Amino acid sequence: MTEAGSIKARLMPFVMENAQSKGITKVDDDDSLTESGIVDSLGIFRLVSFLEETFGIRIGDEEITNQNFESLRTIENFVTGKLAAKGEKAASR
Amino acid sequence: MPYILQQLLTESAKGRAEHPAVWARGRTLSYRELDQRSNQLAHLLRQRGLKKGDRIGIFFPKAVESLVAMFGALKAGVVYVPLDPNQPADRISYIIGNCGIRALVTIADRYKLLDPAAIPSVEFVVFAHELSEAFQANMIPWSALDGFPATHAPELQATTTDLAYILYTSGSTGRPKGVMLSHQNALTFVEWCAETFDIRQDDHVSNHAPLHFDLSVFDVYNSIKAGATVYMVPDEIAVFPASLTNWIVQQQITVWYSVPSALVYLVLHGRISAERLPQLRLILFAGEVFPQKYLKQLAEILPHVELYNLYGPTETNVCTYYRVDRAILPGMDKLPIGRACANTEVLAVDEQDRVVGVGEVGELYVRGPAVTPGYWGDPEKTAKMCVPNRFQANFEEKMYRTGDLVQPDENGDYYFLGRRDNQIKSRGYRIELGEIEAALLSHTGVCEAAVIAVPDDEVGNRIKAFVAPHQPGSMTAVDMQQHCATKVPKYMIPEVIELWEALPKTSTGKIDRVRLKQPRSLAAD
Repeated sequence: MTEAGSIKARLMPFVMENAQSKGITKVDDDDSLTESGIVDSLGIFRLVSFLEETFGIRIGDEEITNQNFESLRTIENFVTGKLAAKGEKAASR
Repeated sequence: MPYILQQLLTESAKGRAEHPAVWARGRTLSYRELDQRSNQLAHLLRQRGLKKGDRIGIFFPKAVESLVAMFGALKAGVVYVPLDPNQPADRISYIIGNCGIRALVTIADRYKLLDPAAIPSVEFVVFAHELSEAFQANMIPWSALDGFPATHAPELQATTTDLAYILYTSGSTGRPKGVMLSHQNALTFVEWCAETFDIRQDDHVSNHAPLHFDLSVFDVYNSIKAGATVYMVPDEIAVFPASLTNWIVQQQITVWYSVPSALVYLVLHGRISAERLPQLRLILFAGEVFPQKYLKQLAEILPHVELYNLYGPTETNVCTYYRVDRAILPGMDKLPIGRACANTEVLAVDEQDRVVGVGEVGELYVRGPAVTPGYWGDPEKTAKMCVPNRFQANFEEKMYRTGDLVQPDENGDYYFLGRRDNQIKSRGYRIELGEIEAALLSHTGVCEAAVIAVPDDEVGNRIKAFVAPHQPGSMTAVDMQQHCATKVPKYMIPEVIELWEALPKTSTGKIDRVRLKQPRSLAAD
């Protein structure tokens, strides 16, 4: 499994649980999570906490944007970038 | 002096023809374009047989066409009904049937969610875009407007007491109720705003609230009256505080109006500062109590911005206001809802039907031209909420009972204490817990259901439900949430649903809500 693939696999159950609680049964990679209401003003901070805990990353307020959290794919890319930055930091120590 | 809302537009279009009237998703319409497009839509509605007083539904996410639909309806003498584009089809269909909507202005993406058989009152549909596929005769593409006169509206004999729009709010018996608002109702508020806030031609007025929420009445009509530009916040940006701040910076917003919870998120996560928002001059908030802690932070972060607390149910729009005084804010425990707006009177009335004095508690009653004529198709509910003014006997007059308990202080400012009933606010949305209970109970597997509000600093209230199924183990909390999603808007779906074998009862056999609010170990003995 690629790294991005494993990110999605760990992200999926959380997103699906939120989706189901809003009556949505299917979420594609590029579906807008805000338009469908899966991520709303309450849900976004639960999602951020989940990502921080699951992937051991720190997400700043300035990173909580629609560009980063628009869809499963953008979240995956965002987390991939954060993990890569974290790895570089660790390697340079 | 304008006496019908569309005069605000025609007036501004004379002097400000090429100035942008509205911005949404990077598109703008000038005053001339908005005036002409809405003239054309009004002619189209008339040509298709709509008469004065008929209703149309506006059913699509905010766009510049939203304003064309609103003004187009008004110019035809037609009452518009903004429909929440994110609500379940079942609830939308109910509203369409409830007030007999004859035409929809919508987009294909939303219209397809509706079952035409469930909305038999709808005779034709105007799409706010082109239609590529072959379409039926009752489906009209936006380009059809081109064939109608742009320079003038159809002839209309209108008075200020005609209905302008209907806003549906949560209903305690399980179905939403339509608050009827006249031109006069809206203009009473708009005129007061114009005096109080001095909205100017060069203002950039935000529109954060959805159009079915009465906060948007300020945004749209005050901006149009002033010849300013209204900037509609894209839904996907509103979710992200940092993106929202960037948007406010980019659009150079000068006037902001929203529910407090949106501002709380900006304070906590939006990276707002006086340096980033030098152009912002006025922040208005309404819809729920602003937690003092965060209001004080907001006042400190943006020392150059005037802050006003506005109060009022949809039935009266804003009826009281309080200007935040920074000199005394740090020592204040509670923010007042203030005193009555111009052309409005408020009274606090106790259970003995007496107007209460300083420091006493009573229910807030509102009188004046801002008060709704009532609920669509529901004279019973109207009679219950819009009651005769018993405090003067000279002429017949109605007052609106808000259901809000208030306390006047020695300065004449009122303080909001709470509700007399089961209505709550969550993120500024007005929610009847009874509507959620009815949604839960409509599931065939549910025996008992109760919904409570759990107070929360950031969003006002969170919603929690208790459900006892007929057969224990026959359903999950997620099943129930999914069921709710087909009945009520997303903001009304309980965040937490606990499944119990049976709900606790009071001595009279009613569900014991007090015990449900306690920790489970105490409640489930």
